[in-house]
Amino acid sequence: MKKIEVNFIINKKPVTVEAYPNERLLDVLRDTLKLTGTKEGCAVGECGACTVILDGKAVTSCLVPIGSVEGREVITIEGVGADGKLDPIQEAILENHALQCGFCTPGFVMSAKALLDENPDATKEEIRRAISGNLCRCTGYEQLTVAIYEAAQQLKEAHREQI
Amino acid sequence: MNQVKEENYNVIRRSKPRIDGVEKVSGRALYAADLYMEGMLYAGVLRSPYSSARVTRINTDKAKAIEGVEAVVTFADLRKTKSWAGYMYLTDRIRYAGDCVAMVAAKSKSLVEDALEAIEVEYEELPGVYTIDDALEEGAPLVHEEYEKNIFKDSLFHIRKGDIEKGFEQADVILEREYRTQYIEHSYIEPEAVLAYMDPNSGLMTVQASAQNPFFTRRYVSDILGIPLNKVRMIQAILGGTFGGKEEGIGLVTARAAYLSYQTKRPVKFVFSREDSFLESSKRHPFRLRYKIGATKEGKIVAFEGEQVDNCGAYNNQTQFMNWRANVHSSGPYEIENIKTDTYGVFTNNIHSGAMRGYSSPSLIFGQEQLIEELAEELGMDEVELRRINCLKDGSVTATGIPVEYVILQDVMDDTVERTDYIRKHAEYKQQPDTRFRKGIGLAICYRGCGLGAESPDASGCMMIVNEDGSVSIASGLAENGQGLKTAYAQIAAEALGVHYEDIQFPQLDSFAIADSGMTVASRGTVMGAQSVRKAGEKLKKVMIKNALELRSFSLEGTDLTYEQLTEEDIDLKDAVFFLKAHPEITVPFTSVTGACIWTGKQMAAYEWFMPEDLPQDHETGQGKAFPTFAYGCVIAEVEVDMRTGYVDLKKVTASHDVGRAINPALIKGQIYGGIVMGQGYGIMEDVAPKNGKVKNRNFDSYILPTSMDAPEMDVQIFESGDPAGTYGAKSIGEPATEAVAAAIANAVYNATGRRIRENPCDLETVLLGKKLR
Amino acid sequence: MFKYDYYRAETPDEVCEVLARYQGKARIVAGGTDIMVQIREKDKRWKELECLLDLSFLEDELRYIREEGDQIHIGALTTHTDLERSEVIKRWIPFLGKAASTVGSPQIRNRGTIGGSICNASPAADPLTPLIALDAWTVIRGRDGERVVTLKDFYTGQGKVGLKEDEFVKEFTVRKLPEGTVTGFAKLGRRKALAISRLNVSAALRLDEEGRIDFARIAPGCIFSTPDRVETAENILIGRKPSEELWREAGKAVSEEMIRRTGIRWSTEYKQPAVEAIVEDALIECCGSQFA
Repeated sequence: MKKIEVNFIINKKPVTVEAYPNERLLDVLRDTLKLTGTKEGCAVGECGACTVILDGKAVTSCLVPIGSVEGREVITIEGVGADGKLDPIQEAILENHALQCGFCTPGFVMSAKALLDENPDATKEEIRRAISGNLCRCTGYEQLTVAIYEAAQQLKEAHREQI
Repeated sequence: MNQVKEENYNVIRRSKPRIDGVEKVSGRALYAADLYMEGMLYAGVLRSPYSSARVTRINTDKAKAIEGVEAVVTFADLRKTKSWAGYMYLTDRIRYAGDCVAMVAAKSKSLVEDALEAIEVEYEELPGVYTIDDALEEGAPLVHEEYEKNIFKDSLFHIRKGDIEKGFEQADVILEREYRTQYIEHSYIEPEAVLAYMDPNSGLMTVQASAQNPFFTRRYVSDILGIPLNKVRMIQAILGGTFGGKEEGIGLVTARAAYLSYQTKRPVKFVFSREDSFLESSKRHPFRLRYKIGATKEGKIVAFEGEQVDNCGAYNNQTQFMNWRANVHSSGPYEIENIKTDTYGVFTNNIHSGAMRGYSSPSLIFGQEQLIEELAEELGMDEVELRRINCLKDGSVTATGIPVEYVILQDVMDDTVERTDYIRKHAEYKQQPDTRFRKGIGLAICYRGCGLGAESPDASGCMMIVNEDGSVSIASGLAENGQGLKTAYAQIAAEALGVHYEDIQFPQLDSFAIADSGMTVASRGTVMGAQSVRKAGEKLKKVMIKNALELRSFSLEGTDLTYEQLTEEDIDLKDAVFFLKAHPEITVPFTSVTGACIWTGKQMAAYEWFMPEDLPQDHETGQGKAFPTFAYGCVIAEVEVDMRTGYVDLKKVTASHDVGRAINPALIKGQIYGGIVMGQGYGIMEDVAPKNGKVKNRNFDSYILPTSMDAPEMDVQIFESGDPAGTYGAKSIGEPATEAVAAAIANAVYNATGRRIRENPCDLETVLLGKKLR
Repeated sequence: MFKYDYYRAETPDEVCEVLARYQGKARIVAGGTDIMVQIREKDKRWKELECLLDLSFLEDELRYIREEGDQIHIGALTTHTDLERSEVIKRWIPFLGKAASTVGSPQIRNRGTIGGSICNASPAADPLTPLIALDAWTVIRGRDGERVVTLKDFYTGQGKVGLKEDEFVKEFTVRKLPEGTVTGFAKLGRRKALAISRLNVSAALRLDEEGRIDFARIAPGCIFSTPDRVETAENILIGRKPSEELWREAGKAVSEEMIRRTGIRWSTEYKQPAVEAIVEDALIECCGSQFA
């Protein structure tokens, strides 16, 4: 098994990695790039703890062979928020006590961000659907749904002010 | 009835932000699997595919020959194969399909897999037993040769209260029923993980593990290596959920990693795959509950007889503690004069059962709260009224013969019944036409002994240090599991000491910072464990007041006060300001006193140990005080059942809980929301369903949890009882939050369908056919 | 752990060449949502795997939903999310969009492709039933060019599809449903998201001017070893007006067909009544419940 070279954009910066073909994007993020905010919970695409944004879409990085990200753009939890400040989604999660053990939290942030980037007018029902591929065993999802909805309102507000 | 309202506390009873929130939400928090060290090896184990077998041959030559494989260890290599708690580190006698025969350490995860695949093992399969009924059969194969039968004697408990025969003689109606519950998996999203390494500076075997009970885990390391406890440094890693699951499994994993590290002289990281976690972490005990209940036609319950048998699996995993609690709670939150209960566990060739959020209560309540409704129906009586007549009230005597006070159970129930319009809906749904989608509403009440009670010592310690700049460091023997313990403790510490919440720091537990305070289990963290935090805070407050007085920190100029008159009693400390009680305008900032203390050698630390009252119990009768107090709750579930597919759609859950005192209302609500959805999984879809001991559902594709789209609408009510027993009056909430949900769902399904589901869960097949389809 | 090489295909021709070169020991990956799980679980089927052949860079060639005359062409790399959001699908074959929207989770739908879903050959695949109801064709590309086979015949046995060593699926072609046709997709799972279908059914109906059914398609999933329509059930509907009773008859015809084909099994006791209910659901979704 020969190593392959893969070039991609991670959190807005280009990167080149050497990896075995049987490594997953998740392995490279964690073991090679030490971006450990992306978690491994099930490795079969069911729990969503490893969710990242790949070319604008939420995906489970445990199911992405590393070769597939050549030339593509990946955003992880480490790339969320700007200038050392938390993203409004993260702020809202804190505000609403929408986390407990925190292991699933980065995955939820990424799913929520993918949704709100595309649809800032998301309803609570759309939010529930957008996070339905992220399992949380602590919170019962209630405070998470409220938090993401509040973040959406805030983002809309900020957007309106900009205009 | 008290609901949350502001009183004269400064820090508690407020929804303070989580102390660990920013690290977690930003992804910066490092869990054990996120730790890396130079030269680190990865570890893995080889598990038996058989449920009952003996290893006849094992050959590791090929595995050892692989370059990059640094250690291959089998049961034959270990000094000691059986852990202090009875589970096997490695074994050649297989008692369940999950027992390990070998472990390896290698330079990469991929090499670990290669090495495990290269180990050759031959097994001789042996007869096994898998169900409670089979295990109890005469002549059943023995799981443990050293016992005469498969009954685990240490887990046998009794209640003998009143005269059971006389009781049934008084009864106009006697009902006998059997209920059964299933294995479920904790399903924390973080699989077990540990990093073990020899600290080159101290020579200590250092382990950072996702351990719910760090001291308990430390014991495994000391045990497998044969080294003193003080040669092991245990640092709790941030824990990605546990719910009782990261107790034994993580102990075994940590010990194995430490052993491999010791052998190879390299750091070793061992991270469970989800399948490993399913195969080796304990499961909730399945119960077979046989109940007989008698009542007068007026609805007074006069006798209760129970046989509660649980499936312990292959090894004893807290079954004796589980059953002690099950025994105390066997007759439910009712005052009954005559009770006879026997509770015991049986060994089978299954994965071991163990602690899981609720610790037997979710199973028991599933039976009890259906039994009470079946009784009501038999009596031709309203099921809420029957509960009102019999439920615990102030002065009621419990099953263990002790009167209880501050009982707000009936208030909680009545309020919840009214809030949900239960009476009208329940009657209406009973009469609904025979349509495809039928509505149902179901109720369950519950009570729960707070903390460990007489099960084991509920003692704990806290170290509190004030620094020269007024900031405060605390160390506690209990641990953050994700539930928010650090946040609650920081609030309690700030309240007791009289400083700001933001001034408190509380890092991960380190076995060199504090004494073993037992396990963070039984929802004891706040109610009992935090007593030592409060004590330390109150003691340190006195010390600091004394310091302020001795240092003459107050400026008394321009007043007619003198230091000669002032005593410690005259001074108070709140919100990081000292003040004279009689002259609140005369103040000194906390920081100016702390700054002065450091240069004058004044004490600025306190260590306190909390030991609760002794709770003696009679083993033969189970009589005696079992718990310092009880928490009460009521859950109402509303469902819509598809009569043609058996699909139960949980629409709404209203949950009301007596939390004693709400230290942090938002954290409590989070506990209750999470508990409801976990109860939904237990009541409707989750089932490990091992076949002849083999777990087939071993990842989240086949073992299914409720998603955000399944979670019901939730209405959560918090009640405060004024009961002073716990820390600042707080009671348990982690476990009460989930324990009655499945029972309420089953009652709602009955209301909707007229089908009584006596075997949990209410899955598609069971609801449609009235039986399990396996 | 399986070890294999990785090959990124840049042209469709290259896909065939590499497949041929590895003689059955190369496996195509697109979204990876099935194959990555199977490789990790050391699925026996891929024990000999030597090369993971990545199709996902052929988006220009293989990711499309095109309307051409009375046909719709769906490229193999079309994701479930694409199907769910496509206006063409919504306009002409809405049940395919609905079926795709019930697959797994957002993350799975963003990555998983229609080609992968069909080639994985799970009888529970949700987008399979509308395609079967539509009598879709599979366009297969090999070294010697393209061939077309009906989707039904593409399945050669339980969990098996008929591809030669050098071949891959390029697209699925369906004929638009006749103007005025209504469709329905019903699914029974154990939860509302991330649910593998316990049962699923696609149905399509058209009414003539007198309100009688003159076109009917019923394709159930999960119950046959290879996917198929149930013509006995469809024939019951033709020439009759929608009614609750009629839906019930159609449901019964499907469950009878299930038993005829697969016999009585341990699960039949449950599946028989449940599949009848799901068939009725799909039919009700077609016509609304006003007829029932």
